[in-house]
Amino acid sequence: MADDSPASHRRDPIKSSVGNVAAQRRRQNAVTVGKERRESLVRAKRLCRVGPSADGEVPVEGNDMITDEEEFHLEAQTSSAVEDLKSAVAYQGKGAMQKRVNALRELRRLLSKSEFPPVEAALKAGAIPLLVQCLSFGSQDEQLLEAAWCLTNIAAGKPEETKALLPALPLLIAHLGEKSSLPVAEQCAWALGNVAGEGEELRNVLLSQGALPPLARMMLPNKGSTVRTAAWALSNLIKGPDPKAATELIRVDGVLDAILRHLRKSDEELATEVAWVVVYLSALSNFATGVLVKSDALHLLVERLATSNSLQLLIPVLRSLGNLVAGDSHTTSTILVPGHAITDGVIKVLVKCLKSEHRVLKKEASWVLSNIAAGSVEHKQLIYSSEAVPLLLHLLSTAPFDIRKEVAYVLGNLCVAPTGGDGMPNLIQEHLVSLVQRGCLSGFIDLVRSADVEAARLGLQFMELVLRGMPSGEGPKLVEREDGIDAMERYQFHENEDLRNMANGLVDKYFGESYGVDE
Amino acid sequence: MAMVVDCQHDLSFPYWTSTLRRFDPDSPFFSSGNIERELLAKQVALDLTEDERNQLEKMVDKDARGVFCPIVGCGARLISLEDFEDHYNARHTASCSVCSRVYPTSRLLSIHVSEVHDSFFQAKVARGYAMYECLVEGCGLKFKSYKGRQQHLVDKHKFPTSFEFFKKAHPSKKQRQKNHRKQAMHKKDEEASSKMEVENETMDGLVSAVSKLSTSDSSPSTVSFGRRHTRGLPFVPRSVQHEKRADSTPAGAKR
Repeated sequence: MADDSPASHRRDPIKSSVGNVAAQRRRQNAVTVGKERRESLVRAKRLCRVGPSADGEVPVEGNDMITDEEEFHLEAQTSSAVEDLKSAVAYQGKGAMQKRVNALRELRRLLSKSEFPPVEAALKAGAIPLLVQCLSFGSQDEQLLEAAWCLTNIAAGKPEETKALLPALPLLIAHLGEKSSLPVAEQCAWALGNVAGEGEELRNVLLSQGALPPLARMMLPNKGSTVRTAAWALSNLIKGPDPKAATELIRVDGVLDAILRHLRKSDEELATEVAWVVVYLSALSNFATGVLVKSDALHLLVERLATSNSLQLLIPVLRSLGNLVAGDSHTTSTILVPGHAITDGVIKVLVKCLKSEHRVLKKEASWVLSNIAAGSVEHKQLIYSSEAVPLLLHLLSTAPFDIRKEVAYVLGNLCVAPTGGDGMPNLIQEHLVSLVQRGCLSGFIDLVRSADVEAARLGLQFMELVLRGMPSGEGPKLVEREDGIDAMERYQFHENEDLRNMANGLVDKYFGESYGVDE
Repeated sequence: MAMVVDCQHDLSFPYWTSTLRRFDPDSPFFSSGNIERELLAKQVALDLTEDERNQLEKMVDKDARGVFCPIVGCGARLISLEDFEDHYNARHTASCSVCSRVYPTSRLLSIHVSEVHDSFFQAKVARGYAMYECLVEGCGLKFKSYKGRQQHLVDKHKFPTSFEFFKKAHPSKKQRQKNHRKQAMHKKDEEASSKMEVENETMDGLVSAVSKLSTSDSSPSTVSFGRRHTRGLPFVPRSVQHEKRADSTPAGAKR
């Protein structure tokens, strides 16, 4: 409503509308921050809050939600910091270097605060070309460090922001060289690690620009944060899906030796990053797997699994072991032979993982066991008589679904002889009878009831073993007692034809007209 | 292509074989471990609840996002796999109040009731009306005989040849004897039992009517459609009733 005293009334409407808008934005922000936060949590990129030179600065805790006002200010400050950098770079006179360093430092500080640094504002203001200029050869270490640090954090967020680093890549790679100071090389490696963590496309760009060899060399020294950062960056760089990079890495002179050395002697933090490198080497490259299996690697992985209690370390070490077992049948047939000390060692650490409270360890350890149980009859006997079985039986009835599925694979594999090739594989009746007597059937029938096709299939396959293999025709009775017939009858109107046929086939064959009548 | 293949002997069942299972590094199998890695590196692992972790996993792994009910025609979205059992019990266990058979949808239940418990239905069949409707929702076709409908299901809708909508169920011997005794007891005590007897006889009649319609002379397939709750008064197969086995063995409790 129009007023005769516009001056006094002007402020109030604006204030309230700004208040509402701000409140609305904060609410919207909460949702987006939620989504953004979730995305940032699972990214393979890492923000750098404390520099490698550790100049005594305390990292800012940016976990609480930043208010609209603060955020607005941050963006404005960032834009002006970029402006300052622009003039500092243009300036040619006395003290130019210090000017540049100061401007860079200010920008870097702004990009290291808060959970979501004002990257967009920095990019909009034109930060990248300036930072690239600051990376030019011959620049002072401090300047290189600050510039690389800014780029690291710009690349730590959204995909399009990371992609903006393209012009800087050749220089970042160049500063990985052995002539660079360690802190500078490390910061460049960090930035490149973030770029590699973005996706396949950028990884290929980095590889084609020759990022791998210098990063690999940075992993060779015995210790230091540089080694750790380089290992992490490498794990992002080789993660594929193309196995080329992984194969190239294991071929670099000294890399295998360094990996083994770190697995054997280094502190847990460094060993963790190196273990992730092994994860990708063993998952992607058959060549690398072969090399690793022939080396001391298995033994070292088992050692770590036995002695460490750090979940962060155990996950990649366990998975490396799993990949080496899964990737090459020679692992189980020639090295993890029953009777060898290392085999007992492997079973022991897998049992330790089964006992762990961590879901990932239980699941992946079961997976490894299932692959060992897919070996020879001796392997199956070894596992069957180990401490693993009671633990597995317990997990089958109590653990979350994804673990139960893996456990099912182990138990089922224990009950069948190695696949000859065609037709019905033979049962190992002793194992089947014992496991069924110890109550595993209901766990399998639960899987038959699940909505997961793979699990249902497993359940039905195990039921077939029971129906066929239990002595004295006990099978059908046992299945019926556990409501197995009900579970199978669900499939009559199930959309999956294979499962329908499987279930119907079993009911037809074992619960036929003559079931229960002729006794 | 209406050939009925005899699949009794060639089960072609995919037997359990123990083989190595390998996963690519970006396989959904590894996603929870990958998430854990990033959370631990950012030192927020302890701050998250199980719910938040599930949300993260759904974001990363497309398979974890949506589970749908696999019962034909349902397609309901399930919150999680654990949710399926509750959903199934709530939506797919329509049970017949007469014979306690259970069906996955109320439509199938009502078809069952008409075909088996409704003498009016049989009367129309006898007069040549096409009363047996196709079981697939939306098809709409009706048939004059049970067998005709059966053939249609196999030919047009790829039902397994062993499928039987109405089948005499085969409880275990102990259960049958228990039912038998229960029936004998009820006859003396309750009035409801006599109703049951009548029902049985009507059902017997229906069964014989249905089997007369059936063209297969060999024993019908053993797939019993209509899982029965053990709590309800169960249907006693005609063959057993006639034999009237008298030997009483202590009946084991059925779960």
